[in-house]
Amino acid sequence: MSVSALSRARPVIRRGQASRFPPTVVASFAVLALVLLWSLVPTLFTGQDPARGVPADKFLGPSTAHWFGTDHLGRDLFARVVHGTASSVTSALVAVGIGVLVGGLIGLIAGFVGGWVDAVLARLVDVLLAIPSFLLAVVVVSSLGFETINAAIATGVSAVGVFARVMRSEVLKTRRAVFVEASYLQGGSRWHILVRHVLPNASRSVLMLAVLQFGLSILIIAGLAFLGYGDPPPASDWGLLISIGKDYPLAQWLVYAPALVTIATVLSVNRISRWLRKTD
Amino acid sequence: MNRDYARYALRRVLQAIVVILLAYVFTFVVISVLPGDPVTNTLRNPQNGFTEEEIARIVSYYGLDRPVYEQLWDSLSRLLVGDLGISLRSGLPVGRLIGDVLGSTLLLAGSALVVALVLAFAIGFGTRYLPKRYGQGLLRAFPSLFLSVPNFVIGLVLINVFAFQLGLFRVIDSEGGLATFFAAIALGIPVSAQVAEVLIANLDHEAGQEYASVARSRGLGQTGLFLRHLLKPSALPVVTVVALTVGELLGGAVITEQIFGRTGIGSLVERSVTTQDLPVLQAVVTLAAVIFVVVNLVADLAYPLLDPRVRLGGAKPRDKAEVAR
Amino acid sequence: MAPQDRLTLDRVTAPADDALLRVEGLSVSYGDNQVVTDVSFGLRRGGSLALIGESGSGKSTIARAVLRLLPEGTGRARGLVEFDGQDVLSLSERRFRSLRGRRIGFVPQDPSTSLNPVRTVGSQAREAAALLDEPGGHRELVLETFAQVGLDDPRRVYDSYPHQLSGGMLQRVLIGLTVLPRPALIVADEPTSALDVTIQKRILDLLSDLRRDLDISLLLITHDLAIAAERADTLVVLKDGVVQESGGTASVFSSPSSEYARKLHADVPALNPDRYRHLRERPAGGTGERPKIEVGGVTKSFTVDGRALVAVDDVSFTVEAGTTHALVGESGSGKTTTIRLLLGLEEPDRGTITVAGEEVTGRSHAELRSIRRHLQLVYQNPFTSLDPTWTVKRLVGESLDRFRVGTRRERADRVREALDSVGLGENLLSRKPGALSGGQRQRVALARSLVLRPDVIVLDEPTSALDVSVQAGIVEVLLSLQAELGLTYVFVSHDLALVRQLAHTVSVMHRGRIVESGAVATVFDDPRRPYTRALVDSIPVGAGTVSGGVS
Repeated sequence: MSVSALSRARPVIRRGQASRFPPTVVASFAVLALVLLWSLVPTLFTGQDPARGVPADKFLGPSTAHWFGTDHLGRDLFARVVHGTASSVTSALVAVGIGVLVGGLIGLIAGFVGGWVDAVLARLVDVLLAIPSFLLAVVVVSSLGFETINAAIATGVSAVGVFARVMRSEVLKTRRAVFVEASYLQGGSRWHILVRHVLPNASRSVLMLAVLQFGLSILIIAGLAFLGYGDPPPASDWGLLISIGKDYPLAQWLVYAPALVTIATVLSVNRISRWLRKTD
Repeated sequence: MNRDYARYALRRVLQAIVVILLAYVFTFVVISVLPGDPVTNTLRNPQNGFTEEEIARIVSYYGLDRPVYEQLWDSLSRLLVGDLGISLRSGLPVGRLIGDVLGSTLLLAGSALVVALVLAFAIGFGTRYLPKRYGQGLLRAFPSLFLSVPNFVIGLVLINVFAFQLGLFRVIDSEGGLATFFAAIALGIPVSAQVAEVLIANLDHEAGQEYASVARSRGLGQTGLFLRHLLKPSALPVVTVVALTVGELLGGAVITEQIFGRTGIGSLVERSVTTQDLPVLQAVVTLAAVIFVVVNLVADLAYPLLDPRVRLGGAKPRDKAEVAR
Repeated sequence: MAPQDRLTLDRVTAPADDALLRVEGLSVSYGDNQVVTDVSFGLRRGGSLALIGESGSGKSTIARAVLRLLPEGTGRARGLVEFDGQDVLSLSERRFRSLRGRRIGFVPQDPSTSLNPVRTVGSQAREAAALLDEPGGHRELVLETFAQVGLDDPRRVYDSYPHQLSGGMLQRVLIGLTVLPRPALIVADEPTSALDVTIQKRILDLLSDLRRDLDISLLLITHDLAIAAERADTLVVLKDGVVQESGGTASVFSSPSSEYARKLHADVPALNPDRYRHLRERPAGGTGERPKIEVGGVTKSFTVDGRALVAVDDVSFTVEAGTTHALVGESGSGKTTTIRLLLGLEEPDRGTITVAGEEVTGRSHAELRSIRRHLQLVYQNPFTSLDPTWTVKRLVGESLDRFRVGTRRERADRVREALDSVGLGENLLSRKPGALSGGQRQRVALARSLVLRPDVIVLDEPTSALDVSVQAGIVEVLLSLQAELGLTYVFVSHDLALVRQLAHTVSVMHRGRIVESGAVATVFDDPRRPYTRALVDSIPVGAGTVSGGVS
């Protein structure tokens, strides 16, 4: 009997290739691509100046000329939403970046070094988690000053705890994995194991969390802008637009248009995050 | 078990106290060390109308003329005797300011939690009971949708429909039952999403466990299986999740109270942020941390008593193998 | 494939209408994936039938189809399943529920996951008893049943949570709950594969006794041909969801007609103790050299919950160069801790360990590292011992890179060479573990341990996670390499039949101590300690005395 005859490879991917991208995921990627384009080249999508109002055209409902209608100064709301995208989306990216880098580093050190370093860092993370994240963001932004970039930093600080905790538990889990011991037996040094085995395996869940946190950050930053803690008008962050719109209950599109854009974006991010978790 | 539990409880209580003190220090550091001198700016702001004597009194009270670490030490010492400081805006003790509005916020947060739990369990039941294709698929999308809507948008929609169009409640100076109910819905919906997600995932997980098949093989029907077998193991972890959402409820109150025109901790924060009233902010943040830590402590201490699967004590020998030296 | 009548042909006394369970043209699919194709068999009243197959053969799926426990929504069964004259698949759920539990019982594979972890055993047992609609006295009924299935302290079991009981006790509970309503048929899905060997035999004996006393028919699902032949009077051999062969035990077992059944028979260690004799032969008598491995008086204890637990207690053994020494014992016997000490992963409290003349104990990290070049480990579970983010090429070459052996090209050549020696082709070099089968993964792990050309390889149950046919391939590779390269193996296993096939010397461990040791033939043919005898007796040998392998 030959040896190779026995090693029969089993089919690994059970589901067909077609079902790997469900339609809702495709739609989500399309929404995010559109949002990305809005923030990179807003002028491609609207020829109107977001800051220039035509007083005669104020409070016009949605129409083919003004897709999202116009506001109290007669400014085109669609143009304002599109031009506000860059600041709404990039600030969320900044927040996630801070969370991943700072939180990831804290979690990595705590999980890998262990001992008293872990004990000290664990208490710090406990503190960050104990303060309600929105409250923490509010305090930090009030201390730094009311600007959108500061709101982004504050949101990032409030997310550090979550990232640190996930990274730490993933590092601990990976460190105990059999394959890490195997690498140690192959002559792998501590550093080799950290960089080549622990980090790649642990960062998988952290990246998935980052996607989820991106959606959450958009919401938190919109909340801060809604309360007026971001850049003041004529900036047109989505949260700010909703905040202004709520003062005109008769022109409901002023609330609903930017709100729907926000919801669609966050919903797409969450759908992709869920899909990533499932395909893992 | 009992000695292990006592040791575990003691350790968790000590940790909680440390975390609360650190939260206070942390807020102090964020406020004092970050650039800008908001305290003196606020005091000197003519709009606030402080006299020179009042300024001098507050400056010496906070020791603003002394080094930062001395201020921190004073601040901590005051905290330990229950003195939360003086508001820079009104000159009133912070403790009294908070005491006046705490009840309203706790009522709101408590109602929101009830709304969240009712909603989450309704969704959870639905994903098992409703007709397969449409009902379940639709319900499963709910938590994801709830998590994607800013809570101020939910609030604005509720106000628009139920206050402006149907006239069920008034937004200005309204502390009535219906107003609280709708505010609680706005605050509770995002929280319900988190609870429902965990509940659905647990129900799915438990239904796929071997013991569920075995119980069915003994002739148990779907209803019996759900009530007697799936519900308890699925709902137990929800205790931990609910405790974690306390932060969400307190943080979300800032926006919800503003939209619904309520006075409470959230509106106090909002006012203190715009007027840079840092002692109030520091006290509120610490209070929120205390509530969060205490609720989670209770949940953690209760969990081993509720769930027989959780065994306390030492690790297995295998776990002790120090792998990456 | 196998026509229905073939099963009943050699049972002259059993007319066709005495069939209790009749399965005809059964096909099952999960979504688009068909896992069972056109399977037919019949089980007469009071008879026993075993479905035999390796993982992926669809045997458990058939059991679940009979019980109508396929996963809702995805699992779909077509064909005929007739129980006692009723078509099971077309019954309404309500009607079928009166059969399930009462007339058809189910004994699951892993008892530790088969009871609700957050409820006491008693409350679940009472629930089962209450479903029978018999008035009152459920508690007494349950306690009586617990005593009947050999549970020593029924009251304690009744008040316990599942995690407080051992696997053997839990399986007795589950069997008790299954026989409580006196069913006509029991479906047992690998009822012992999660249990220790000595307990396996007792549980199977219990099932046989109950079957005889209560006149219950048995549908046994197993991967173990020997167990099937011992416990069933009809065998059905499955592969990839298709029946390969079926018939009376005597004919299928001793003169299998299909190629697959023949191969399966040849691959079961218990049935072929001398299969690898030609590869195992050594020049008689010692070589006079110093033994490759010397373990002397080694003791190791751990502190668990504040109490000291002696995991390894005064263990000594030696292994001659070029031979295989087996450490045999059930879970918790200390065999895993012993090899961790041997590899320097743990420090012993007392005693010395010498490998190739070099002391392992009391070494610094750097010194251990150089010793390990000659001392390698293959883990039990190839699904956890390979980093899922690495390719095969990097995995196998890792130690070469770490020890900076040769040039880049030489290293690549040695990786290829190592893969070739375990029977894997170059086409796998860029694959990740997720894209390999279990057997391929274990071969990669083996190649990884060979690439440094060590003298000693420690094998920690290297085949226990694999199917028998895959296991046979790995064992053959191991023995060929030993014959070719003169490797010394320390082989840890709970499978005595496998040990008998490949080891030269053996130490039997029980509760941290070595209770018996010596040459394999001596220890197995003439065990001196009762514990060893119990272990040897628990090897299933199939029906009759079938000896000698199939070449």
